[in-house]
Amino acid sequence: MIQVDNLQHTFLIGKKGKEKRVPVLKGVNFEVKRGEIVAIVGKSGSGKSTLLQILAGFMKPEQGSIKINKQETAKLNETESAAFRLRQFGFIFQNFQLMPGLTAFENIELPLKLQGISKAIRKEKVKKLMDKVGLTAVADHYPNELSGGQQQRVSIARALITNPPILLADEPTGSLDSETEQDILMLIQSLNRELGLTFVIITHDDEVATIAHRRFRMYDGDLVKEEA
Amino acid sequence: MLFKDQLDFVAQHIKKNKMRVFMTVLAATMGCAFLIVLASVGFGLQDSIRNDILSNETVTKIQVFGESTFTDEQVDEIKKMEHVETVLETISVNAAAQSYFEDRETSSELFVTNMQDFEQVTGKLFEGKYPTQPTEIIVGYHFAQTLLNEADRNAIEEKNKKAEAEGTYYDGNEEGYKKSLVGKEIELSLMPYTSNETESKKMTYTIVGVTKEPSYDWMIDNKVYMSVEQKDALASNFAAINDESMEDQLFYSEFNIFADSMENVKPILEKLKDKGYSVYSVTEQLEQMDVFFLVLKIGLIFVGTIAVLIASIGIFNTMTMAVTERTREIGVLKAIGASPKLIQRLFLMESTFIGILGTVIAVAISYAISFTANALLPVVLKAATGEDAFVATDITFSFIPWQLVVIASAISIGVAMISGYRPARKATKIDVIQALRQEL
Repeated sequence: MIQVDNLQHTFLIGKKGKEKRVPVLKGVNFEVKRGEIVAIVGKSGSGKSTLLQILAGFMKPEQGSIKINKQETAKLNETESAAFRLRQFGFIFQNFQLMPGLTAFENIELPLKLQGISKAIRKEKVKKLMDKVGLTAVADHYPNELSGGQQQRVSIARALITNPPILLADEPTGSLDSETEQDILMLIQSLNRELGLTFVIITHDDEVATIAHRRFRMYDGDLVKEEA
Repeated sequence: MLFKDQLDFVAQHIKKNKMRVFMTVLAATMGCAFLIVLASVGFGLQDSIRNDILSNETVTKIQVFGESTFTDEQVDEIKKMEHVETVLETISVNAAAQSYFEDRETSSELFVTNMQDFEQVTGKLFEGKYPTQPTEIIVGYHFAQTLLNEADRNAIEEKNKKAEAEGTYYDGNEEGYKKSLVGKEIELSLMPYTSNETESKKMTYTIVGVTKEPSYDWMIDNKVYMSVEQKDALASNFAAINDESMEDQLFYSEFNIFADSMENVKPILEKLKDKGYSVYSVTEQLEQMDVFFLVLKIGLIFVGTIAVLIASIGIFNTMTMAVTERTREIGVLKAIGASPKLIQRLFLMESTFIGILGTVIAVAISYAISFTANALLPVVLKAATGEDAFVATDITFSFIPWQLVVIASAISIGVAMISGYRPARKATKIDVIQALRQEL
């Protein structure tokens, strides 16, 4: 499903004209199969976030190739990349990244709006999904009226609403207490089992990585496979 | 994203910042209203002067200058020219026509002309018909009013004295002969302008028509028109009281060429000028005036546009703030798959909305200001200067034609869109990673 070959990237750090080149990805190779949960574990500064951002198309790699569903995505332009994200990816962020001015319902509805789906269909889809992830009671609440766990559920529901084949999660439990963390991890597991969704989870937390089928450790720009 | 959802999105953001958007719309409104009202003065004055010229003169008339009178061949040649309706020869008689009716009398200018041509040009009469017999005549609209007897003259003198004391004057419209003159016989003699003692013998004529009221209120028309066939009779009558040399100067011909429509005046004018005639038409004056006013209006619109540009700085600021405030939201939108084009469009729609709303309100306000100015300014000016001139004549101080509304709207909305463009571009360039890192 995802095939990454020899991915390389360098950051320029420092004042203009006197920049230092800091390699963050030194030829990363890995593969994710359909229906897998893959965890990429690493300390901060190891390059794991950069890897996710390149994977998601927020950045272009200096070198290497990314094939998602057999399509080369490293060379897409901004507009193509946005359209690709809208179809293929769901995002789960550490800070949930909900729109503060929109209710839980409207936040989940947002990707469908971007896809240009009519209001009636949107309403039906969102209702169904909210029911599934246990958010019906808070549909009309704004993000600041929700608990961290509820916010992350809204964020997950927003990621799922377009039925994307791949979900990218960046520290999905980073802002949650350990009890809520377990809830969310279980939700991810059940979604994986029931819907066959593919998850790529970036985390520094070995606990989170336990739900993964396969695990990679990022270390100074290199990716090493670990036994699950 | 559906267009309706885009509108919802924009509306939601405007609602969130009502005060800021309101102030920006206010600035846009003031800029645009200033532009329209300023330019409307140019349009208004042009309209006033144009109407003034057109109401005084027949627009299809081409006047001919020069001492040489036309020969019959020349008249025929001009008549044959394309779009020439007719050539009217009006002969003014160099002596006053002294008319007597019952116990009344008046003195007026006398004209001799070809009645068929005259009818073609003058059109409908106020009452009566055009003469068909040599002894039939037409008189001006005020002819009856100026037919005075002794009692009338005394009354007018009284009223005049009174009016003079008040600083005005009295035009004598309450005196004169009140009934219709059509069908009445009057006696007419000629009196040279050089002396008012010798008077020719009286001739009897029948009034068959009265011309229309002149377009100006202050104009008193008591002219007498008679058929060209009377020329010899007048000449011999006049000769009896004058020596030979005067007779040559009794008649003075004036030729006017009439085109069939206003548009055709210009080509005829050019052809006649090519042939060496000295000709003039009021449309030439209009053309020169139009050029002058075109320059004036462009100047006024330019000055007004500066106000719109100042307002656009407000729009630019508002939109830049909006983009900066929403950096994280834009980042999320981009992350979940909103295209840069969509984001740009959403922000452009917001600045366009400000422009459109400002313009719509500005147009309404401008019409209100224009209407009020036209109603109040003459009164204010009268109070300030003590003169009636501004009230009596129809001066349009401000006139807003639809073209001005279109031009001002295009400038105003265009400027709003342009000033929103940079902030909108900035929004598309927001770095997703940076934006998502922003604190909530």
